[in-house]
Amino acid sequence: MSEQAHNISLEQARELVALLEAGNQKKANEKLDEVYNRRNDKLFTSVGQLTRDLHEALQDFQLDPRILQLTEDELPDAQNRLQYVIQKTEDAANRTMDAVEACLPLSDDMHQKIDRIMPQWQQLMDNNIELSEFKSLCHGVDDVLKTCGNNMPQIHSLMTEVLMAQDYQDITGQVIRRVIQLVEDVEKNLIELLKLFGDEAQEAAKGQPKEVNKDQAEGPIIDADKRDDVVSGQDDVDDLLSSLGF
Amino acid sequence: MDKNMKILVVDDFSTMRRIIKNLLRDLGFTNIQEADDGNTALPMLQQGDFDFVVTDWNMPGMQGIDLLKEIRKDDNLAHLPVLMVTAEAKREQIIQAAQAGVNGYIVKPFTAATLKEKLDKIFERIS
Repeated sequence: MSEQAHNISLEQARELVALLEAGNQKKANEKLDEVYNRRNDKLFTSVGQLTRDLHEALQDFQLDPRILQLTEDELPDAQNRLQYVIQKTEDAANRTMDAVEACLPLSDDMHQKIDRIMPQWQQLMDNNIELSEFKSLCHGVDDVLKTCGNNMPQIHSLMTEVLMAQDYQDITGQVIRRVIQLVEDVEKNLIELLKLFGDEAQEAAKGQPKEVNKDQAEGPIIDADKRDDVVSGQDDVDDLLSSLGF
Repeated sequence: MDKNMKILVVDDFSTMRRIIKNLLRDLGFTNIQEADDGNTALPMLQQGDFDFVVTDWNMPGMQGIDLLKEIRKDDNLAHLPVLMVTAEAKREQIIQAAQAGVNGYIVKPFTAATLKEKLDKIFERIS
């Protein structure tokens, strides 16, 4: 519709004046309404168009209402979850090491006592033992048996403790799986956002070379079999160093 | 090898420090102290009479490679043997550590036998 159609024309104004001069108030009112409504139509159309545009823009930007949820709740939540994984694995490692450190002196104790009686025991087995030595051997054996009898149940319960400390794997595995799911969701939404900005941005992003810092710390290599810039184990390290004259 | 030598174990994870300490204790070394990164380790080394450093590479604050470089720069510390025990496994990094003057390089995960072997080698070469 042209601008002309919505502005009151000179012709319409004259008709209106003519109607009023003729005392035809009713017709004049109708004429005025007609002009007024046409202007209103345009306003409604424009507002309608704007509303639709706004709605579509919002739709496009939201794409997935999860974006908001992702940024507001789930990403900070993921950080907490990963912190929890660190805490859990640390706790498990310490629990295991506590138990192992408590085990070692118990087994050393038994080992030492066995070592102490071994020479006399060997004499006994060779049928070559004095009575006094035999008595001393009996005390030694008694000591070994009592020590073992005491230490073994302790070692058993410490080993059970080590076993139980491994339950972190199940718990952290579940948490990590959820974080992986979240990362996938974020990736999907980022791709959609990229699509929205057209192929140019996508191409530009693709064109960016992945940053490679050959001598920067990277942490544990998780895909060593797919890479040729990393060593595959200690033997590789030793070979490399000896090739450098180490 | 002097079993009473003073050793500094540098790693940001307390569990890894504990593992290394246990392995060293198993080998007969008992005089062991800990630091959680290069920034903590360097002043300890400058003030204490340490004989040996075992360090991780990737740590917040000062990284192991920079600690190594600082040690080699410092006249009082330059002679200190440094063993790197790290998950960093890129060839470039190992070469970089060698050029910076590392005495041994162990990649994680590692075994008690590997640690013993490298220790023996380092102190055999020094003596």
